[in-house]
Amino acid sequence: MKAIQRIDLEIFEHEVLALVGESGCGKSVTALTILSLLPQNGYVAEGEILLEGTDLLKKSSDDMRKVRSNEIAAIFQDPMTYLNPVLSIGTQLKESFLVRSDFPPNPEEVGIRNFLSTKRTANQLMSVHGKKREELAEELSLELLKLVSLSDPERMMHQYPFELSGGMRQRCMIAMALARRPSLLIADEITTALDVTVQAQILGLLKHLRDTIDASTLLITHDLSVAAETADRIAVMYAGNIVEVASAKELFRNPLHPYTKLLMKCIPDARKPKARLESIQGNVPDLIVPPTGCRFHPRCPKAMDVCQTNKPILRNQGEDHLVHCHLY
Amino acid sequence: MEDLKAWFPIKSGITQKTTGHVKAVDGVSLKVRKGETYGLVGESGSGKTTLVKSILHLIKPTSGRVRFDGIDLGKAKRTEIDKIRRKMQIIFQDPYASLDPRKTVLSALTEPMRIHKVAESKATAVRTAIGLMTKVGLNREHLYRYPHEFSGGQRQRIAIARSLAVEPEFIVLDEPTSFLDVSVQAQILELLDKLQREMNLTYLFVSHNLSVVQHISDRVGVMYLGKIVEEAASKIVYKSAEHPYSHYLMTAIPVPDPGFVRKEQPLTGDVPSPVNVPTGCRFHPRCRYATEKCTVDEPRLYVAAKTHLVACHYDINFLKHRSKLRQMSNSISLRVKKSKAQRL
Repeated sequence: MKAIQRIDLEIFEHEVLALVGESGCGKSVTALTILSLLPQNGYVAEGEILLEGTDLLKKSSDDMRKVRSNEIAAIFQDPMTYLNPVLSIGTQLKESFLVRSDFPPNPEEVGIRNFLSTKRTANQLMSVHGKKREELAEELSLELLKLVSLSDPERMMHQYPFELSGGMRQRCMIAMALARRPSLLIADEITTALDVTVQAQILGLLKHLRDTIDASTLLITHDLSVAAETADRIAVMYAGNIVEVASAKELFRNPLHPYTKLLMKCIPDARKPKARLESIQGNVPDLIVPPTGCRFHPRCPKAMDVCQTNKPILRNQGEDHLVHCHLY
Repeated sequence: MEDLKAWFPIKSGITQKTTGHVKAVDGVSLKVRKGETYGLVGESGSGKTTLVKSILHLIKPTSGRVRFDGIDLGKAKRTEIDKIRRKMQIIFQDPYASLDPRKTVLSALTEPMRIHKVAESKATAVRTAIGLMTKVGLNREHLYRYPHEFSGGQRQRIAIARSLAVEPEFIVLDEPTSFLDVSVQAQILELLDKLQREMNLTYLFVSHNLSVVQHISDRVGVMYLGKIVEEAASKIVYKSAEHPYSHYLMTAIPVPDPGFVRKEQPLTGDVPSPVNVPTGCRFHPRCRYATEKCTVDEPRLYVAAKTHLVACHYDINFLKHRSKLRQMSNSISLRVKKSKAQRL
């Protein structure tokens, strides 16, 4: 099953890039591939994943584990599955700090905002032992919980995941991810399981943290509105390919790919509730035997003969707006 | 034709424990008019699922009544209830759970016909089933397949076809598109709209997705912690929500526009549990405008305008105005303090 046919994607420092697509388009698989967490029967056929110059695919599994601790952090949809149910929040959060080999940081870095926003250039290892490290982790954990807008952090350190609501658990997950000071934060459908008002809080938190943390964020979502609100740039995926990439403003102002255009027209907009919704005929293709040529052609209103035979190439339409379509 | 009514004040406690009650639905009165689509919106813990089950008589209410076409479901005889059950149908949220995996589609469609004795013969039943499949946009060949061979969207179509098999008047839709992709959702909403017009159906559409509810409904009811806090025409509810909770809900919806700026800060905290319902107005702990009165007096649904009901002691424009005045007076008193200090 060819989950991802071909993706060329760049994410810049300090930006929020949203990867948007419906189910089965391969966005979660992308996240797992970056983290080298594909299931056993999955493999990367070709290509490279470059993190600050190094190809992650060439790393050993031990090295990748280090990468996952120190450089890339991921948050997923259901926090209950990812939080350890038998450890208190405090223990898990401190663990996120202590797992880094270069913790504790330089003396100037102490204080959570400094801690989070300094670059990960060579840190001097302080030979501080056991207890002091723990105390520092405890202190920073409390500050981090406050940073993610959790009330009563002292109490929360001793609570267990099942005692918290969905929104609170996601904030803990975010805190644990930030504690590792990643250069890349992957957020895979983190608000999908949450109520609208809680989702608004979490997205607000992400926007607020942008100025504090020194990381890029890959926000994976099926909800184009969430992407519109939170992302700098948006990449639209369909059936294993990226079909369009542009800044959020540009994408909405001038969507080029037929799929993007249709996707925008089939979302109900709360501001214009009675506007007619368009739908996309047909179903998402079977990725075991995908359509030939452009994978969208069977459902595309603008399909031409060439679409059935040749795969389109990603072309720049000016203003850093990339489209994967024969029309351009 | 008589107006289709579902009217009930349910007072308290669905589960009775000696230590307390889970007040899942705590006094709801709503009427769904024949031919309309009433949209019920609420987040988790709002009680909308319990409400749905009560309407369909799957749960007995602790108090209050559910009336369908004038008949009180709590008091009706078994034979009457069976007749009513035929007229009321439900579409569930999870298309992967609502179809029996061991039955073919044909069997799923004809079983209700058999139970309610709608078809004269097996042959008629099959013919009706074929007709239904076409109505929902599927083929007759699909009749002989099993649910697992279909996608989520297709399964919902089958569930819809099944509900139509007994020629109902009223369909309750409980989050029918939540599990579906956006493009498929649009197809299903289109289908539901078409069927409503063709078959003169009445819908109760329950969902946490406000944008969808607004789109498909004529009227919208907002539920919070077991009560309806606002009821208004769907066309105006986004712009003119009057209850502070509805107001927050509207501002929390993500909008497909990167330039859009939220007018208000999102709500803090989580929805409280229906076991510990706050005194007075149940929203007061999270309401930025709450007053002394709000902690003590529970507001009824007041008439804010024609067909617009709000359960709040105050008019929202008054509240906003007053909070602006307060902010202004705070900054003025600061300036006064500063200038005094300077004079010294």
